[in-house]
Amino acid sequence: MSESDVIRIRGLVKTFGPTRALDRLDLSVGGGEVHGFLGPNGAGKSTTIRVLLGLLRKDAGEVRLFGGDPWAEAAALHRRLAYVPGDVSLWPNLSGGEVIDMFLRMRGAPANHPWRAEMIERFQLDPTKKGRAYSKGNRQKVALVAAFAAPADLLILDEPTSGLDPLMEEGFADCIAERKAGGTTVLLSSHILSEVERLADRVTIIREGRAVESGSLDEMRHLHRSKVRAEVVGAVPDLGGVPGVHDLSVDGAVVSCTVEPEGLPAVLTALTAAGVRTLTSSPPSLEELFLDAYRKDPVG
Amino acid sequence: MTGLGLLTRFSLRRSRVLIGAWTAVLAVMCYASAAATDSLYATAADRVSAAESINASSALVALYGPILDVHSLGELAMTKTTVTYAVLVMALAIALVRRHTRVEEESGRAELLGGLAVDPRAPLVSAVLVGATASLGVALTAALGTIAGGLPVAGSLWFAGSWLGLGLVGTGIGAVCAQLSANARTCGAVAAGVVAVLFGLRALGDTTGAGWLSWLSPFGWSTQLRAWSDPRGWVLLLDLAAAVLLIVAALVLRARRDLGAGLVADRPGPATGSPRLADALALNLKVHATSLVVWTAACALLGALMAAIVPGVGSVLDSDSARQMMERLGGVGALQETLVAALVSVGAVVITCFVAMVVGHGGAEEHDGRTEEVLATATSRSTSFAAVALVALGGAAWLLLVTGAAMALGSFGAEVSAGGVLAAALVQIPAVWVVAALALLAVAVRSTWAVAGWVLVVAFFLLGPLAELLRLPGWVAGLSPYSHVSKVPAESLQMTPEVVLTLLATLVVLTAWWRYRERDIG
Repeated sequence: MSESDVIRIRGLVKTFGPTRALDRLDLSVGGGEVHGFLGPNGAGKSTTIRVLLGLLRKDAGEVRLFGGDPWAEAAALHRRLAYVPGDVSLWPNLSGGEVIDMFLRMRGAPANHPWRAEMIERFQLDPTKKGRAYSKGNRQKVALVAAFAAPADLLILDEPTSGLDPLMEEGFADCIAERKAGGTTVLLSSHILSEVERLADRVTIIREGRAVESGSLDEMRHLHRSKVRAEVVGAVPDLGGVPGVHDLSVDGAVVSCTVEPEGLPAVLTALTAAGVRTLTSSPPSLEELFLDAYRKDPVG
Repeated sequence: MTGLGLLTRFSLRRSRVLIGAWTAVLAVMCYASAAATDSLYATAADRVSAAESINASSALVALYGPILDVHSLGELAMTKTTVTYAVLVMALAIALVRRHTRVEEESGRAELLGGLAVDPRAPLVSAVLVGATASLGVALTAALGTIAGGLPVAGSLWFAGSWLGLGLVGTGIGAVCAQLSANARTCGAVAAGVVAVLFGLRALGDTTGAGWLSWLSPFGWSTQLRAWSDPRGWVLLLDLAAAVLLIVAALVLRARRDLGAGLVADRPGPATGSPRLADALALNLKVHATSLVVWTAACALLGALMAAIVPGVGSVLDSDSARQMMERLGGVGALQETLVAALVSVGAVVITCFVAMVVGHGGAEEHDGRTEEVLATATSRSTSFAAVALVALGGAAWLLLVTGAAMALGSFGAEVSAGGVLAAALVQIPAVWVVAALALLAVAVRSTWAVAGWVLVVAFFLLGPLAELLRLPGWVAGLSPYSHVSKVPAESLQMTPEVVLTLLATLVVLTAWWRYRERDIG
């Protein structure tokens, strides 16, 4: 963690009455990185974002946004960011175009940036419809166009693709990639793992209001078991005794197991000795990392 | 019809507070009216003279309808309730039907139901049942109120029948209007317009030679029923027929449109936003623009019309009791000036409803997540709060100014100075501000308390008459900020209450502002 982090949260606690929504949560997002913020519904993703936006007051811990206090300096800090909520609500008598321009102007951003027209085109949004006439997906598009229609230092996106069709999800991914290339930092909250796996540099998985995993996908993969499947020529070696080997199964000449990183050399040595015909070893997918994080004993 | 029973029970449960509160208020009004009259007029001759004086004033007949039998205690006692307060019965039915049809469709909740095993007609039919059930409940409770107030049982039941009839017609009006536009607020506005036209037809018919106009309006039927003297039961069949026609029309219209769509298509809006729509205040003004225009027009029109009756009042109210009644409302002074003060004090309460609407809408904006979207921009908490507060406080002052100016113009020819009439309206501003400030404080404490504005308006409005009726100590009536305002122009202007009320409003608004900056949003 460095001082130049765009978002830095240490030991954040937020309670609602008897419910402890956030329980000593840590989260750090460096400048220019796309950070996936993962967790199922109710894990505390939106609560974290709302504390980060100064909408909720923290009970304990440290929260810094661009090095500032998001509660005390909310309005000033918000000039540098754009936010897309998970459930976009629009004004019934305002057209989509009016809402987009209003959000941009309220952010202090120009409403006539060339990106505005480009985004409306890309998301195929009809900006003349009134707020009440938009479907959920189209309301989401209004907020996305407003967020992408002018440069911002930070994008805070809370499940931004819920309600979008696959084609639009593709367009969204392109937008993120372009903005990342331009140096924009992105906090992407989601429970769609493939989306995060494709877009994010680093990932934080939260569970019951606490970060249970955090790091780059590569780092996290290093900490988790790989899947190994091998077909051997000679006698099947007994891998059961090798430390770090799990889920072992043998089917004729085919042996498959999952292996912790420190057990890999020993497994490979044993397999090589038996004579390998085929060998596949796959790193854990994000889905497996995620399930792993959730399979552990309850936190706290 | 699949799902009808479940849906109706669910809707009744969701609206139980609205129905219960409305029923209680109306029942208390009925009881108070019934109980008060006997003591107000000691002898039968007093009552006849009071009834005749009401009939002689076009203004009062326009407002309350005529008293067809001047010897009837019931008719005199229930003058206001027969037509004027009955508007509230119709309004309840309309509000309920709108709430359980168009509002549900606009919010998307109706779509949720559409996916279940529910007949497509069930939501509308169920809303009609809710409107009818509530009307019946209000009518029966009203009858209990008048009976408890000492009026005859038979008359009370016929009177309840007239309220039930208006409630059913209101249910029909609400059902038809809910089909027209995809916008719930537009539907509500159309329904309110229909009620205004029906009321206006009756007022014209009752006060001019064209008596047949009154027969075009359900409000006219309520008077013509003669509940208290010589009931003509068949008049209620008119209500029933109108209600059935309207409800059938609504069902036909519903069958011809898609869920969520209106018969009148939504016009597309601009593709880009105006550069002026760049902050929370501009947004809130835009959101309330239509209602501000409608309220301004209504205040101007009603102010001028009400003031126009002032010159005629001197010759009419010649009975002591009627004069006492006016003086209690408007303070001691020349009769015309008293009438001006009385009219303005009612106007101030009505204008406070605009305030309650604006503040209540502020709470809904937060509840629905739109405030969050605005606060995620460079908009500060203070700006967001000020946007609601300025429209509420400024809107109240503006509407009172319009009312005062229109009344000053309308009272041309009366023996009151235009300046006095204008002042009568302006002195009400601090009192309305106090109610606005309290409503703001409620929202600032918790967004779900936004309804407090409406509760306060009704409570303060009823406090005076109730305290008097129940002979409560003076300080109870004094809780209402309206009670401290000088009854200008009948009395001279007292600056102390004006200053104290303004300071109080300022203090409460500042507290609300401080609280809103400190709390969680959402």
